[in-house]
Amino acid sequence: MLYDMAIDEELAQMDKDAEMSHRALQVSEIQVPLRLIMRDCITIDISTNTQEAIELLIENRIGAASVVENSVLKGIFGERDLLRKVLNKEIGDLTQIPVTQFMKTDPKIASPDDMLDTAVLYMAHGGFRHLPIVDERHNPIGMVSIRDVISYLIEFFPQEVLTLPPTPIRDAFKAREGA
Amino acid sequence: MDARTLSLPISTLDYKQPATVQVGSLVSDAIDIMQVEGFGCILVVDSEQRLAGILTDRDLLVHICGKQLDPTTVNVEDIMTQDPESLRPSDPIAFALNIMHLGHFRHVPLCIWDEQQQEFPVGMISTRDILEHVAIFIESKEGAV
Repeated sequence: MLYDMAIDEELAQMDKDAEMSHRALQVSEIQVPLRLIMRDCITIDISTNTQEAIELLIENRIGAASVVENSVLKGIFGERDLLRKVLNKEIGDLTQIPVTQFMKTDPKIASPDDMLDTAVLYMAHGGFRHLPIVDERHNPIGMVSIRDVISYLIEFFPQEVLTLPPTPIRDAFKAREGA
Repeated sequence: MDARTLSLPISTLDYKQPATVQVGSLVSDAIDIMQVEGFGCILVVDSEQRLAGILTDRDLLVHICGKQLDPTTVNVEDIMTQDPESLRPSDPIAFALNIMHLGHFRHVPLCIWDEQQQEFPVGMISTRDILEHVAIFIESKEGAV
């Protein structure tokens, strides 16, 4: 009896899996408000020096942070700015240089009510990884990164992405020949 | 975009040729190449062009800027990630997503393997490549409406 139940459960799961394998992402499903997927906002005060800003990125394990003055977004500073504007340059002591010297000013922004597909197009066309989310007073309230888009996709296709063997099955035909 | 897309080989995406630097090079040399090429990472290869490691802008943030080291005094192998996970261009896109998600990697080296299972880099797939693929999908659907 228990065996029959187990078989029935297994068959039901196989039917479900077969149905899932034909799942297709619709544009409407990428139209989720950014407020649902954005991460907490880490901010850097405009008076912060560059070395402190670097330490904040390291401590919080983030690639970029919003730079604010009186809670209003003034720019964004991240790993890419360091690579392009700081490393291998004759800059001097980073504890004496304000982060404003290297931040990107007037970054592309989005509202929490904008949709994920809009953010994808912004990031794809703008060539940036991070999109600050601001409220109506231009105060940053979150951040969406390419990683968040990837995570969303993976949640949509968990069976295809997360239940994989450790390495792809390669040369299976050749292996059978040798067996 | 559907589940079958994820089973397509990575080679169907517009992945990039990798920037490489040899073991023993200075970090400052790697930075020069990354700045010129506009890449966020570089692959480190040995004298026979086998994959030895990967160096990313995150490594530069943490190990050079964070520790206030001079990149002209540090070798790439001192701060790179050794023996990174890699895939073949013929592997399914789903595996690239899997590695990126579980490993928190932005870049996955693409390699060909010889009979001794040694890896030779031929490309690089990044989260940006996946994003651009999604953007093309969105635009194609929007255009069709």
